[in-house]
Parts: sequence; structure tokens; C-alpha cells
Amino acid sequence: MDPLLLGLLVAFFTIFVLFSGVSVATGLLIVSAGFLIAFDGMRSLELMPEIMFGKLNNFALLSIPMFIIMGAAIASTRAGADLYEALERWLTRVPGGLVISNLGACALFSAMSGSSPATCAAIGKMGIPEMRKRGYPDEVASGSIAAGGTLGILIPPSVTMIVYGIATETSIGRLFLAGVLPGLMLVALFMAWSLYSTARSGNMQVLAKVSYTWKEKFEILPRVTPFILIIFGVLYAMYGGVATPSETAAVGALLCLVIAMIIYKLWNPKDLWVVLRDSTKESVMILFIIGAAGVFSFMLSSLFITQSIAAWIGTLDVNPWVLMLAVNIFLLIAGFFLPPVAVILMAAPILLPIITTAGFDPIWFAVILTINMEIGLISPPVGLNLYVINGIAPDIKLKTILMGSLPYVACMVIAILLLCFFPGIATWLPDYVMGPAV
Amino acid sequence: MSGQTTGASARTGDNPFLKGVAFLSLLSGWTAATLIVVSVMITCQMIFVRFVLNQSTIWQTEAVVYMMIAATMLGLPYVQYLRGHVNVDLIPLALPPRLRKALFFVTMLTGIAIICVMTFYSYEYWHIAWERNWRSDTVWGVRLWIPYLALPIGFALFVLQMIADTVAVAIGVDTPFGLEE
Amino acid sequence: TELRLSHQWSTKDIRHQVAQIVADEVAAADVDLEITIFPSKSLFAPREQYNPVSRGQLDMTVLPLSYAGGQQPAYNLTLMPGLVRNHDHAARLVDSPFMDSLEEIMAEDDVKVLVHGYLAGGFAGVDKCITSPDDIQGLQTRAAGRAFEQMLAGAGASITSMASSEIYNGMQTGVLQAANTSSSSFVSYRIYEQVKCYTPASETALWFMYQPLLMNLTTFNDLSPAQQEALTAAAAKAEAFYLEQAKAEDAASVETFKAAGVEIAEMTQDDFDKWRALAMETSYAEFVAGYPAGQDLLDKALAVE
Ligand code: NA
Ligand code: NA
Repeated sequence: MDPLLLGLLVAFFTIFVLFSGVSVATGLLIVSAGFLIAFDGMRSLELMPEIMFGKLNNFALLSIPMFIIMGAAIASTRAGADLYEALERWLTRVPGGLVISNLGACALFSAMSGSSPATCAAIGKMGIPEMRKRGYPDEVASGSIAAGGTLGILIPPSVTMIVYGIATETSIGRLFLAGVLPGLMLVALFMAWSLYSTARSGNMQVLAKVSYTWKEKFEILPRVTPFILIIFGVLYAMYGGVATPSETAAVGALLCLVIAMIIYKLWNPKDLWVVLRDSTKESVMILFIIGAAGVFSFMLSSLFITQSIAAWIGTLDVNPWVLMLAVNIFLLIAGFFLPPVAVILMAAPILLPIITTAGFDPIWFAVILTINMEIGLISPPVGLNLYVINGIAPDIKLKTILMGSLPYVACMVIAILLLCFFPGIATWLPDYVMGPAV
Repeated sequence: MSGQTTGASARTGDNPFLKGVAFLSLLSGWTAATLIVVSVMITCQMIFVRFVLNQSTIWQTEAVVYMMIAATMLGLPYVQYLRGHVNVDLIPLALPPRLRKALFFVTMLTGIAIICVMTFYSYEYWHIAWERNWRSDTVWGVRLWIPYLALPIGFALFVLQMIADTVAVAIGVDTPFGLEE
Repeated sequence: TELRLSHQWSTKDIRHQVAQIVADEVAAADVDLEITIFPSKSLFAPREQYNPVSRGQLDMTVLPLSYAGGQQPAYNLTLMPGLVRNHDHAARLVDSPFMDSLEEIMAEDDVKVLVHGYLAGGFAGVDKCITSPDDIQGLQTRAAGRAFEQMLAGAGASITSMASSEIYNGMQTGVLQAANTSSSSFVSYRIYEQVKCYTPASETALWFMYQPLLMNLTTFNDLSPAQQEALTAAAAKAEAFYLEQAKAEDAASVETFKAAGVEIAEMTQDDFDKWRALAMETSYAEFVAGYPAGQDLLDKALAVE
């Protein structure tokens, strides 16, 4: 059979199997095994466990559970509330200080956590009730946190950037740096929308300044300094010659656990176990997808589908930007349904050759891809962050959260456009810190 | 609509089989979590030995990678128990209860079949490594059957939990895909 | 008949070109034999290739044989410090009883060598030149291969294990002060941007790695005589190219490092003897200790002039 036609068949079956309610990883194994048996005989079936082992046999993967533990440990404390409170007390001259501070706290927390739902939960737990109490519309309170939480995978550290780095063999250190400025840009866009939308709702007095005394301003500082220290400590370890990014993650995890235990008295074994359980759950889920996606890409390559698609795209004489538009639409749709890690692993081997042949920078593309995945996190039908918010504030209707998130999706689309016009937003910092790319 | 529902876990009712399997999965999960914590410690120890003591780090990287693979494999049944393997249930949601239940059994049985295949071939892989005394090609030269062992054990416990989940729906203790009727 | 060949290198790499020559020549022979190459680990992870070849699930591969050194300890001799001195010596080794014995061991795993070939490598230091064992003392070093790690540890280096793709980053951030890898890796990972001094493989060198093109033996035997003949003829042509390019690659790496303003150091015969004496006490001794039957093989290798 023609590999391209076979590819279409694989795509069809993959969508069908993945939508049938079976877990994503098991679904990938089912599709892979099915096509290997049908078109390659039984001999490849035997290899599946070895291939999975080979995919997981990678030191860089270690950082995934570590960066998840970092976030989970801190999220189990009231650190999120401390962060936005501190920001609010110091941002007295800014209108709408509370929502601004919550978004700022999301950004800061993202610098300690590799995953988005954790960021969402950590800040939202206290932030959403507080914003609603002070009269912010439900849409803004929930939407801003849902969107702010997605920054967890854009602002370093980021689990999806690690996975992208492994899948495409690009430097994880460079990818991390590439996410910083686009992350800050997104925060700024989110803030602008939050203020505008709150003002438009007619409830102007919630934007009024709340003033704090100097005593109040200073007494909160000791509560946030540990986190600032963690962030800078991890950055120093990573870019200052102490350890590689993967190793740094372990230091960060240990630091966060220790700080959560000492400062936030997270002594109770039960509470500690909850942190560990949630981290184990998320890490294993991701690592199993990585292993299963490895088998899936073996199947695609073995049946010559990956190679044929790349060759076929190469023969198309299209404008690179038209291609980029098509790639974005594809990623967006995939992101609506599938978790980011699965999209990256399934799409990267096929998309990367296309992207580089068309003359785009793989580091820049990682940022575009990540923002697409962020949109998926706050869009139906599978928007992980929407469900986290729903869990935190069950009395806000899912529809309200969704409507509240939509404008932030628009902000992300604007960010993608800005990145297309000014790629330097993503590439300048890694080039500045680590020297020009290859 | 997402399969990632926080706080949920497999329902066992009073069924001793379901309870027994749940206990095994829990045990496996504890082991996985412990392995992750130990890898954090070993990695920090490695950085200390290299950066502070300026000495060789021979075994740490390899040990940590194998422990992480073991944590993933042993975590599989536990995460299944916790309903943590993310899924997309668009088709089940669109189906009426009877068809949904039928689809549940089809997907679970297919899933069980493929994990059985994985269990069998990982057992063979482990067995070859054990029989021929394969070692890793590093200075540490660890006996490979040790890290390989995590594959058959993890998959076997995973399949057990999947069977338990299927049984739970069959005897009415749990609902298909964990969805409300 | 369609054969599948998997390897880990980019399509610009010599080892890919070797595979490509075999594929092209066989296709040109018109004996109903087609070789499909899966480059850049697009099919198997680098270390997961030997098993499938030995079980016939994969037909061919190009890999460092020492990857399978944990399964067949004898293969560790194919990455032993000081066992090969230069490329011509390597060519003589390939034609010796030593290689015959190794091929017998490979045949036990149902594996056959189509194209023999050694690639060389050297040392690079971030702050200083590394030529003799005294130079490496106390440096955080990344070494390529277990026997080299043992020897360098014996010289007082601190060994840290990392992929060759991480050397650049490790040197840039200061985690790493010295590295030992192949000439091609030194160039492709742009290590010349991070180091002060490079000790390339030249007249006498320490680091040679045997990286043959392997094929499943049963699959080969099942081919028709005409097909086997075509494969053998193609392999001979590829082997000549491999040797010539292996030499050229070392020279090219020197040019690249020079152009980047890196100091080029040379390992003298005296340095080489010191390293080899150290290797005798460390890597060779540990090899024989772990695999007593290997003494005979080691003697055969050492006997090649
Ligand atoms: Na982050
Ligand atoms: Na979505």
C-alpha cells in the first residue's frame, strides 16, 4: 500500500481509538500493534517492550517528575496566596492590583513548576475566591487563572519543552530560555485584557487602588523570599555550571520539598504523601505516553509513513507562511483533544523536518507549538485547566469558565502572530545567553 | 468531559478480588513514589560529588535512569487505579448507556489484550537478559535483568488492575469510563 | 528482496555514506535486492539495534560493536585504549586472527560483518592540552567508552558520564573540563567553540572505535548466490571508502579546530607509551579480570604489528 494512504488510514484509526475512551498511552499501543501486525507481520510485535524501554532510557526524562514535584510541593502550601498578596501590596499604584497580582503570581509560580494544572491550582485555590469576594466578574476571576496557569509550560521549567527537546534533539537549556520573553509577553496581554474586561463590566470600583502601609508591605516579604531564592538558585545551577538542566530539576525538587516542610510545616506524612502521590500520578501518566508514543513512532517509521509525509511535503511548492498557518491549525485542533505531551511526541518527528526545510528555527517553533498547546489546555473538549478551575470553584459554571477563557485564547493567538512577525522575542534570549545557535 | 478527574479512584465495593488488586496497585504505587524520591536524592548526591568534591560519578546517572523506568512501570497499575491515565471520552459521551457499556468492554478487552502481549514479550526480554547474564556496557556494568524486571512486573500488575476495572463494571460496582449514568 | 538497515547517524555522516554505497551498489547490480536505510535513529534507539539484528527482526545496522559489550564481553576489545595506533594499523587488525575470532563470536549471535571499519578520535581540554596522563589529573572528564573511563580514572581524572551531545553545554557551563570522543563528534557538536586545545588522532592515537556494518547471518545465508555476491562486492567497495574517509575525517577535524583558533597538540610516542602502560594496569587488567577468556583475544590483538 502507498505509505501516504497508509498514513491516512493510521490517522483515522488513531483518532477513532483515542476518542473511544481508552487511555491515550494504551490507545497508542493498540494502534501501533494493530498496524504492525497487519503490515509488518508479527516480528515487530516482539520488539515493543524493548522499544519502550529504549525510549524511557534517557537521563533527560528524569527532570519531568522532578519539575512536577517542585510545583506540587509548593502548590500544597499557601505559597500561591503569599505570592499574589505580596505582589498586590507592592503594586498599589496599579489599578486592578488583585487580578494583575494573580497573573503575576501565575508567572512567578510557573518559574517553579513544569506543569500547567499545578500552576492553575496553586494560585487559583486562594486567588479565585479572593477576586470574586472583591467583586471581579466570575469570567475574569476564573478565566485569568485558567489562562495564567497555562504559562506553566511556557515559562521555564517546562515539561513539554523537555519532551520537545528530547523528541527533536534540541538543547533543553536553549528551549527554556526561549520561553521566558514570550511568557512575559503573554502575561502582559492577559493583564491588559483582564483590566479592560473588568472595567467594561461596569464595576469600576474593584479596580480602585487599595492602599497598604509600609509595615504591611514589608511584613509579607519574608514569606516570598524563599521562592525568589529557589527560582534564582535553580537558574544559577542550570546556567552557572553546577549542573545540567536535568540534574538541576532534582535540586529544585529537593529544595521545594524542604522549604514546604520547614516554612509551611508540611510535616504530616499524609500531606507529604498527597504531594508525592499527585506528582507520581502526573509523571507516570506522562512517561507512559512517552514510551507508548515511542512505539507509535517506530510503527510510523517502520511502515515508511513518516518519511513519505516529509518527502511529500517537500515536493509541495507552498509559501512557508501558508505552511506555518496549516501547521498551526493542525496543532490547535490536536491540542483541543489531546494532552500536550502526546501532541508533541506524535507531531514532532513529522513536523520538524517540514519546519526546518521551510527555513524556520526549531527553537522558535517550540514556542509557537507550546502556545498552541496552552490554548488546548483552556479549550473544550479536553481542557485540563478548565477542570482544575472547576474543581477549585465548583459553583462557577463550566460554561462561565469557558466564556471567561475565550478572550485569553485570543491573547494567545495575538502572541503567536507577534512571534511570527518578531521571531526575536523567542530567539534573542537564548542567543544572548548561550551564543548563536548552530 | 476529560478523563483526568482529580481525586477519583477505582471503586471496589466489598468485593475481595477488587480489594486485593487495589491493594497490589497501591503497593506498586508506593514503590514507584519511593523510587522517584530516591532518584532525587541520588541526583543531588551526584551533583555534590562532582561539583563540590570534584570526584568521579560512575553509577549515578545510570542508576537514576533505571529507577525512573522502574517507577514508570510500577506506577502504571497505581495510576490506573487512580484513574490518572488521561483519556478522551468523546465517543462514550455521545453514546446511550447500553452502547456505552458495550464500548467500554470492547476498549478494555482490547487494552487488556495489548498489555498482555507487552507483559509476555517483556518477560521474554527479561528472561534472555537473565539467562545470558547481560550487563550494561558501562564501568558500573549492572546486570540488565534487574532494570528489565520492572517491565514484566509493571505490565502484569497493570493488566490485573485493568481486569479488576472491567470486572467492577460487569458486576455493577463501577460505571463505564467512570461517567455518571 | 527488501532489507532494512538502521543506524543512528545523520545522512551527512561517513557511516551513512558507507551504508548508502552498499545500498546503491546492490541496487545497481540488479539482483532483486533493495536496501532501505533508516538513518538518524528513525527506527531504533542506538543501543537497541544489536538485539533486533541478532534475532533477524532488523536486517542490517552500522554501530559501534562495543555497544553490545555488556552481552559479549569480547566486544569491549573493539574500544580499548592503545590497542590500535593508527588507521593503517586498524586495517591490519581487521585482517588478522583477532578479527577472525571476533567474527566467530558474532556468528554465535547470528551476526555477520559486511563492512569493517574503525573511526578515530582524540582529546580536547577547556583550559589546557591533554597529551600525557599527567595532564588529565583532577579534571572533570567525559570519556567515550568504559575502557577509557577506567584508564582516565587511573590517571586521576574525575569521570562524569554524559551523552556526546551534552559535551558542548557541559563545557560552556563549566561542568566539564575535558572530553574524549570521535573526530566527527568533536566537529559536529562544535566543541572547537569551547576548548583551548585539541589533541587529534594523528600518527599515534589512543582512541579507535570499531564500527562495522553488520547483517543478520541467517538472512544473508538465505539470499541467492547472486545476491550474496552483489552484497560482498558492494561491501568491499564501501570498506575501501570507509578507510579513506576515516583518515580524511581526522585531518578535516584538525582544520576546523585550527580555523577556530584552537591550539593543536600532538601525542608523542613517549606519551602514547605512558598511556598504554596505564591502560595495561587499568582497562586491560579489568577486562581480563571480568572475562578471563579474553586474554587470548587480547594477545591476538597485541600480536598485530
Ligand atoms: Na514552568
Ligand atoms: Na482542549
